[in-house]
Amino acid sequence: MDNRPSRHRLVRIRSSRCEPPGERRLPLWEIGGVLVRIGLITEGGYPYVSGDARLWCDRLVRGLEQHEFDIYALSRTERQEDEGWVPLPAQVSRVRTAPMWAAEDDGAGYGRRARRRFAEHYGELAAVLCAGGLAEAPEDGSALEADRFGNALYGLAELARDEGGLVGALRSEAAVRALERACRSRGALRAAREARVPDLLTVAAQLEHALRPLSLDWYEDDGLGAADLCHATSGGPAALSGLLAHHFCDVPLLLTEYGVRLRTHYLAAPDASPAVRALLATFHGRLTAEAYSRAALITPGNGHARRWQERCGADRAKLRTVYPGMDASRFADVGESTDCADPDSLVWVGRVEPTKDLVSLLHAFAEVRKEETKARLRIVGTPAGSEGAAYLGHCKALAAQLFPDEAEGPHTVGDNPVSFEEIGDPELLSLADAYASGAVTVLSSVVEGFPIGLVEAMLCGRATVSTDVGAVVEVIGGTGLVVPPRNPRALAEACVALLRDPERRERLGAAARARALELFTVEQNVAAFHGIYLEIVSRTPVRRVVLDDSGDPLPFAVPAEAHVPGRWTERPHGLVARGGPARPQGAPVRATTIPATGGAR
Amino acid sequence: MNGLDGGRPMNGLGGLDRPGAPTSAGAWDERSGEWLDDHDDAAGAPAGLAGERASEDRVSADRGAVVGTSVDGTSVDRASAARPDRPARRTGADPVKALMHRHRELCERAVDPLDIAAGLEAHGITDRTAARFLHRDVFSLAEEMYARTPRDGEEPPGTQPLTPPRARPDWILLTLLPGALCAATVTGLHLTHGQSRLITAAVGTLVVTLALRAAVARGPLAGRHITRPTATRIGWLIAYALLGDGLLRAAATGGPDALPTGTAQGPWPLTVAPVLALALSCAPAAWCAHLLAVRARHRLSASRALKDFATSAKPLLLATLALYLGALTALLTLTGTTLHEPAAYPQTLTLGALLLLARLLTAHGFTQAPALVLTAAASAEATALATLFAARLPGCARLATPVQSLLDIWGPAAIPTIACGTGALTLLLHAMRTLTRASAHAPQDHPC
Repeated sequence: MDNRPSRHRLVRIRSSRCEPPGERRLPLWEIGGVLVRIGLITEGGYPYVSGDARLWCDRLVRGLEQHEFDIYALSRTERQEDEGWVPLPAQVSRVRTAPMWAAEDDGAGYGRRARRRFAEHYGELAAVLCAGGLAEAPEDGSALEADRFGNALYGLAELARDEGGLVGALRSEAAVRALERACRSRGALRAAREARVPDLLTVAAQLEHALRPLSLDWYEDDGLGAADLCHATSGGPAALSGLLAHHFCDVPLLLTEYGVRLRTHYLAAPDASPAVRALLATFHGRLTAEAYSRAALITPGNGHARRWQERCGADRAKLRTVYPGMDASRFADVGESTDCADPDSLVWVGRVEPTKDLVSLLHAFAEVRKEETKARLRIVGTPAGSEGAAYLGHCKALAAQLFPDEAEGPHTVGDNPVSFEEIGDPELLSLADAYASGAVTVLSSVVEGFPIGLVEAMLCGRATVSTDVGAVVEVIGGTGLVVPPRNPRALAEACVALLRDPERRERLGAAARARALELFTVEQNVAAFHGIYLEIVSRTPVRRVVLDDSGDPLPFAVPAEAHVPGRWTERPHGLVARGGPARPQGAPVRATTIPATGGAR
Repeated sequence: MNGLDGGRPMNGLGGLDRPGAPTSAGAWDERSGEWLDDHDDAAGAPAGLAGERASEDRVSADRGAVVGTSVDGTSVDRASAARPDRPARRTGADPVKALMHRHRELCERAVDPLDIAAGLEAHGITDRTAARFLHRDVFSLAEEMYARTPRDGEEPPGTQPLTPPRARPDWILLTLLPGALCAATVTGLHLTHGQSRLITAAVGTLVVTLALRAAVARGPLAGRHITRPTATRIGWLIAYALLGDGLLRAAATGGPDALPTGTAQGPWPLTVAPVLALALSCAPAAWCAHLLAVRARHRLSASRALKDFATSAKPLLLATLALYLGALTALLTLTGTTLHEPAAYPQTLTLGALLLLARLLTAHGFTQAPALVLTAAASAEATALATLFAARLPGCARLATPVQSLLDIWGPAAIPTIACGTGALTLLLHAMRTLTRASAHAPQDHPC
């Protein structure tokens, strides 16, 4: 449903909105309490059933029932949209969705003035992209380039708001020609100068896809403008929507990143040509830097994401690490009980993939068996995809080769010391049972983001041996043993050390559980976001007119606050290490106020 | 699977940032890495100097160390300390060089240092690994690697050529369908009489219309955007090709006195041959459009600048049109001789050209001009007929003068030839401008 005045025929991306079923809840006003209306922007996530991070968002929304949530969801595929939503709680006042996978181009062209506006802004954008990324531009030039990028981006957004039809324009010949001109201009990146026609077409199409949030009708006073703050749950399109809400309606932006979107872009298309990769890397880098600089606060999910954000120019003062929360109650029984099912067994739990390096684990276990003949290894997990299934088969074959079946005595049936199991087997009804079945939990990955399995093992109060990858050291924090990746011997020695020393195992397990309960529970996650919401709202002046009961404006209802754009104090140098973009020292220049003709050239 | 999925809240979050499996030709596991290292050393430093040896030892001691932390203070460093007799691994004086060799492809492909950092992290290199290379973090290690990768001189890897569209059996069969059905209908008309002929004609028209719709719904003639409804105009143009000439001649001589009988004789004769030829030409039209798409894709891959493509696409477009007109001429000759009707070359060829160009433009996303031109051509033909009938009203006899004089000079074929010819020419000029743009031939299925 489109909520615009009928004279506008502008919306190119269908956007739907609806109220959740059930009664409309009246806001609970408490003495000293604050009701914050949060515009939660998700991309391919909550509230879709198959969304990323839906559980986290669901817990956040349910945990903060004193606030009000408007959900703005970008769906990633048609299938995702067809699969429907999770049940929404009463504090969700409305949901608006828009597809990122389909954009209609009605073929209607722009008029002459709109065409000129488009060519100007898109040309500027292309020029910035061809001038190089964050990492290459010199310090002083980078600020100027960042401003040019912002001006071009907001210029295009205003054009989409005024005239619509941006989808067609971004794919038009004018766009491709602007890209070509920028690539051939003096000072363009070397890779960009090599761009051929197919590269230009690919870049134009990808930019069109990335800029689809510009065509949405969310940035109105009854859309994101009505929210007290925007919470973008990931970088990329969701952050772009938040940026536009900030630009058009001055809504403060909170950006949460559990995985670094920019890094995903770098890894996404390794086969594309250098020109395409260079231009798109610059675009995503600039967009990320713009989001970081405009966001009121940024909450990385772990130290790894935080380092990337700092590297991309996020101000350290804005960063608040909020660890993801896990449901601790499922593991409470196992964690609190002191008895151990099998003091000689090691457990590995997770999805079976090549990056988990089970081969190395099996080799390590062979070493363990030399020292501790009674040791057993349980591998619990399902393969991820066909590659994972093939890998699991390989591992099973290797296990059969390394360890012959063996029996207790001459009259009993033998068994392999390595068992491959899945959750749902009669013995392992739940995840907690899997962790409970072993004395030591092992993590042998060579690549890992935020190790969920490790946190689960910690919540179960198990001693752990893990490889030093990703955020493992940050999570474990000295409550378990850490060995280098791809080092079976070290892994084996650490395991043997723990198997031989039940007292140490217990001590480590208790410490791990205490640490996990302190840092990685849902409650801490929700409480952290609650505090952050209030912090942002307290620093943002209220822009709306407050009405009294009879509908008249209520003067002096909100305190007048000083809101100074930009910084009071000079930014300390050296925070952004080595060539990260520095923002201009003075107040930021907004695109709206200046006609961009020849502004930056 | 369910147990894991349902129970693990952060799966999705991990999925956002899941690093890819290594795809490079460089070393993947420790052993192949060592192998590469050793070979690198053997090539680079055959006889190590004393100083180099010392640094090697230091580095290898570093590398051998096991990172170990635990709450109770005991470190797992014992592991390596317990084995002093293990031969020290040979590492060059320049460990970064070995690392660059291992990740050679990543370094050559990288567009900026962050690209290398992302790739290194996907291969399991952390800040602590970077510390072994005397760097504070992965970013600074990646910066060194990026700076040291030679970039000058060698040609960057070229763009992969775009994959041309394939000829698929479904649209090939579908484009044969209208011609076959039309031929069947014509045969039926010849074999039947009276009411059954009427029924045959009605059923045939319906079936051929449906087959035409199906033929342009997929394959190279399919429109990829929302198309404007032009079916009525095209239907009118084809109906005129079938009935128009007879009606015009009859109207000029005071008729028509009876409805058409469905044959080429009588007061209002049907010209079936051109329509049959047009229906049969669906298949060549689809092949021409397919050829245009394939050749345009090749030209796209080969051209460096947009202007190059425009220059090379113009003859391509003209050749496509010429090919189609050639095929249509052959079909016209064939149907004319088979049905013993005069093959109406000028009006059918112009109509064919008009329809093909309109369809090509629509298929490439330019819907406005074809709709306009088709409307203009259809209304021109309708006006010509209408003026002849309007001239019968008292006092309006002069209305018929232009059409009548055209009829006198060139015969009834002049009206559709002029209408469709002007339209086709206009569309051709438009297509020379729009269909030679690179963006018109951009592949639609981009990975997002």
